[in-house]
Amino acid sequence: MDDLLADFVAETREMLEAIEGEIVAWESDPADKARLDGIFRFVHTVKGNCGFFDFPRLEKLSHAAESALAEVRAGRRTPDVRLVNAVLAIIDRIAQMADAIEAGQDMPGNGDEYLIAALEPDANDAGDSAAMHGEDIDKGKLSGQSATPRSIRLPVELLDRVMSGISDMVLARNDLARRLRAAGAEPSIDGPFERLTGILTDVREAVTRMRMQRIEHLYNALPRLVRDLSAELGKQVMVDLEGGDVELDREMIEMIRDPITHIIRNAIDHGIEAPAARIAAGKREIGLLSFAARQSGNKITITITDDGHGLDLGKLAAKAVAANIVSQREAEEMSRKEVQQLIFEPGLSTADAVTSVSGRGVGMDVVRANLEKIGGTIRVSSKAGEGTLFILEIPLTLSIVAGLTVGANGQRFAIPRSYVEEIAHGAATSIEYSTVGDSDLVTFRGKRIPCLSLANVLGMSDGESVRGKTLVLIRLGSGDLFAMAVDRIFDHEDLVVKPLAPAVMATGVYAGTTLLDDGSPILMLDMPTIAQQNGLVSEVRLRPASVPDEKHEVAEKIRPVMLFVGIDGRRRAIGMDLVRRIDIAPLDAVDIEGTRAQIVIDGEILPLVGIEGGELPDTKIKLLRLSDGSCELAYAVREVSDAAGIESDIVPSGDDDLIEGVTLIGGQPVGIIDGMTLFSRHGRTLHSQTPLVCRLPAADGWSRAMLEPLVKSAGYRIAASTDEWADVTILMDDDEQPASHDGGQIIRLHGDAEAPVSTSERIYRYDRDALLGALRSARGGNA
Amino acid sequence: MMDELLVMTVIAGRRAAFRAVEVQAVIETEVIHPVPRAPDFIAGLTALRSQSLTVIDCRRSLGLTGDTATDSRAAVVEVGGHPYALLVDAVEDVVEARSLPRPVPGGFGEAWERVAVGMVETDGEPALLVDIAKMVAGPDQAMRGLAA
Repeated sequence: MDDLLADFVAETREMLEAIEGEIVAWESDPADKARLDGIFRFVHTVKGNCGFFDFPRLEKLSHAAESALAEVRAGRRTPDVRLVNAVLAIIDRIAQMADAIEAGQDMPGNGDEYLIAALEPDANDAGDSAAMHGEDIDKGKLSGQSATPRSIRLPVELLDRVMSGISDMVLARNDLARRLRAAGAEPSIDGPFERLTGILTDVREAVTRMRMQRIEHLYNALPRLVRDLSAELGKQVMVDLEGGDVELDREMIEMIRDPITHIIRNAIDHGIEAPAARIAAGKREIGLLSFAARQSGNKITITITDDGHGLDLGKLAAKAVAANIVSQREAEEMSRKEVQQLIFEPGLSTADAVTSVSGRGVGMDVVRANLEKIGGTIRVSSKAGEGTLFILEIPLTLSIVAGLTVGANGQRFAIPRSYVEEIAHGAATSIEYSTVGDSDLVTFRGKRIPCLSLANVLGMSDGESVRGKTLVLIRLGSGDLFAMAVDRIFDHEDLVVKPLAPAVMATGVYAGTTLLDDGSPILMLDMPTIAQQNGLVSEVRLRPASVPDEKHEVAEKIRPVMLFVGIDGRRRAIGMDLVRRIDIAPLDAVDIEGTRAQIVIDGEILPLVGIEGGELPDTKIKLLRLSDGSCELAYAVREVSDAAGIESDIVPSGDDDLIEGVTLIGGQPVGIIDGMTLFSRHGRTLHSQTPLVCRLPAADGWSRAMLEPLVKSAGYRIAASTDEWADVTILMDDDEQPASHDGGQIIRLHGDAEAPVSTSERIYRYDRDALLGALRSARGGNA
Repeated sequence: MMDELLVMTVIAGRRAAFRAVEVQAVIETEVIHPVPRAPDFIAGLTALRSQSLTVIDCRRSLGLTGDTATDSRAAVVEVGGHPYALLVDAVEDVVEARSLPRPVPGGFGEAWERVAVGMVETDGEPALLVDIAKMVAGPDQAMRGLAA
C-alpha cells in the first residue's frame, strides 16, 4: 500500500474516531446543527479524498450521504430516525471499506444501493433492513482479519521532546569528551565511550529521520491543484515533478505549503498564457510548470519554473514607482535583476485585473516573509517571453540553524548564516571608509553601505572605529544591506538554538542561545531588530545609494571570488558561485589512494582535490565544498582568507591547466582555479540516475574482495543474480561465455603472472588502470 | 507546610531561603559569559551540562548595589520553562522549616518586600523565604507593577 493510501486510511480513521461521539449525540437529537455539521464535514472530506483514488463505491456512498445531509443543512428536509439510521449505516460502511483498503482486501459485500436508497425521503423499510442485514454479514467476515498496524501516529510535541533530548545528549557527550581528554588517555573508558558516541550518532540520525518526510507528500497535492486552477482560468498546464525523494522536516513541509501554493497560483494566473496566445508566440499550447527539489548541504533548494511570458520588467518598475516603493530615478538605475526582485515588495501586483485566483497585491511579500520566518530565502529570475523561475532555499530543519560565529570585544556571538551576504577584510583595498556626521559608511563594490560596529551596537564599547575591522555584510530579507564590523570571524557551525529567558529577550538584540562544541554558551544575534534599532530599515525604504562615478560600470563586471591559501602554501582564488560552504573534517575522513583521493563528509563520499604539493595538517583539514549544480567536490585548503572581486585582467598561465590564469588582487598575484577543468577532471555526479550493471566472475574471494570494490568505484552496480541483464560482464580467462549472454560488453581477465600485460581482449587481473579504462569505455559505449 | 525543606543561602549578607522543591541543583558557576545590553541583574549565561543557564545576580535583582561576595555558588531553578542560576553570596545548608511563611509587622524593607513570600522559622535563626519567579523577573518588573 503506498503512503498516500495509508494517509487516506489513517485520516479517515482519525475522523471516524473524532465524530464517533457526534454520531451518537446526533442520533439522540437529530436537530442539533453543530453535530450535523461535523458529520457533514466527514462525508464531504471522504468524498473529496476519494477523488484521488479509484474508489467509485466509496465516492458514491459519501456523495449520497453528503447530498442528503446538505438538504437537511439547507432546511429543506427535517432529519428523522430513518435518515439518521441510513446515514449511520453509510458511515459504518465507510469504516469497513477503510479497513478493507488497509488490509488490501476486496471491498466488503454489496448492497450499497440499498444504503443509498435508504437515504431517500420515501424509502421503504424493506430497503432499510436489507442494508442493515448486508452490513451484519460483512462485519462477521472482517472481524477475524484485522491487520496489525504498520505505522503509528505521534504528536509532534513528543517527537520534539525526543529531538531536543538527543541534542542535549550530544552536548553532554561533547562535555564528557572534553573532560576525558583533560583527564588523559584511559583505554578502559575510551572504548565504551567510542561506542556510546557511535550509538548516539545513529540514534540522532534515526530521530532526525522520524521528523523527515519525502517532499513527495507536498508534490502529491500539486497536480490536482494545478488542474483545478488551470481549468478555472481556461488554461492548459502540465506539471513536471522532480526530486520527490528529497526529505524535509515534516513541519517544514507544512510551512512551505502555502508559499508554494501561492507561487503556483501566480504562475498559472499571470505567467502562463492562454492557449491561443501561446500558439501565437510559437510555444506549445500546453504550458509547463515544473518543480525540482534538491538537497545541497544542509539546505533544500526548490525551483519552480513556468514557461509563460515572464515578468514584465517595465510594468513592474512602473508599478513600483506608482506605489512609491522606488523613485523614478532609482527605477531607471536598477539592473534587470534588481527590478525582478521588486515583486517581493509589499503592495505590488502586475495583474491588470484582480482575479479570484490571485492578483490582489497581497502576495509575494507574504510569501517571502513566511519563508524568512523559517530561515529560508526566495529569489526570482525571469526572461521575457520564456518564463519565470523561482528559487526557494530552505533549511533542512527548524531547530538547527547554520550560523557564523564572530568575535567582538573578546566575546563570541552567532549570526544566522542566511543573513550573511559576504565577508570582507576591512584592510582590503577594495573598501573605502567614510564618516558622515556620526554615521560610518563603507564603499564596497560601488555601493555605499551603512556600517555598524558590533561592539558599539552591544554597548560593549563606545565610538569604536569600524576601520580596518572584518566586515560581515548582512542582507536582510527586505533587501536592506548593511555591514557589521567585528573583531574576527571564527567559524561556520550548525547551531542548535534554544529560546532565551524573557529578560534577555527584552533587549531585542538576541534571537536565541546555543552551546558551542566546547560547551560555552553563546548568543545568536537578531539581525532584523538590530537593523531596525539603528534606523537601517526605514518605512520608505532607502536603497543603498549608488556611487555616482565611472567605477560603477566596472563594478558590474567584477567577478566575485573566494581567496584561500592552498595546501601548497600558494594564494589561490575560486569563483564564489562554485563555493557551497566551508567545512572542517577530521583527517581520518580522508582516503588517499594513489592519485585518487576522497573524503567522507556528512555520510557522502566526495572527491578530494588540492592536496598536492604540501603536508596535510595533523588532525583536521579545512575544505571548500564546491558544487557545479550536479557534482560536488571537496577542495582542501590551508586557510580561507577573504572574498574579493576580480577587477584587473586575468593573465593566462601556461603550465597548469587547473589554473585559469593569474590576476592581481590587493596588489598580489593570485592564481584563479579553473572550475570548468576542475569539475571535468574530478567531478562525479553524486547520485547517478541508473548505474550500469556489471556481472562478476564466479563469486570467489578475489572477485569479491578485489574486483567488486573497484567495479563499484567505477560507478557500476553488481548484478544481483546470474540471470539479471548486465551491461558489462567480467569473465576470467577460463570462464565459458555464458549461454544466456544476450548482449552487453565482455571484459576478459587473465591471471598469467608470467606475461602481466593487458591487451584489448585480455586484461591482466592486477592491471587496475587497464581495467578501469575498460570499464570506463564500456560506460561510454552504453551511456 | 511545616517541615518543608529549605535551601538556606546568604544574599547581600542576609539569610534567605528557597524552597528545596524548586531548586534543581546547587552548582559552582565556572565561567559566566556576560550578555551585553541586558539589565544589570543578569550576570550572564553559563553552561550546566548541556543547558545554557541565565545567571541572575540576586543582589542586583533586589536593587541593591555592591558586589555579590560570591563563592560562585548558585541555585538552579526553572521559571516559565527557562532555566536560571541564582547567584548568591553563599549556600549554607538544607534545613527543615519550623513554621509557615508569615508576614512581619512593618514589612521586610523596600528591597526585600518585592521578592518575599514571608518569614519562616528554622531551627536556627528565622529566614526570609524568596519567591523565585519574582527574583528572576528583576527590579524592572516591580517598577512596572507600581506604575500599573
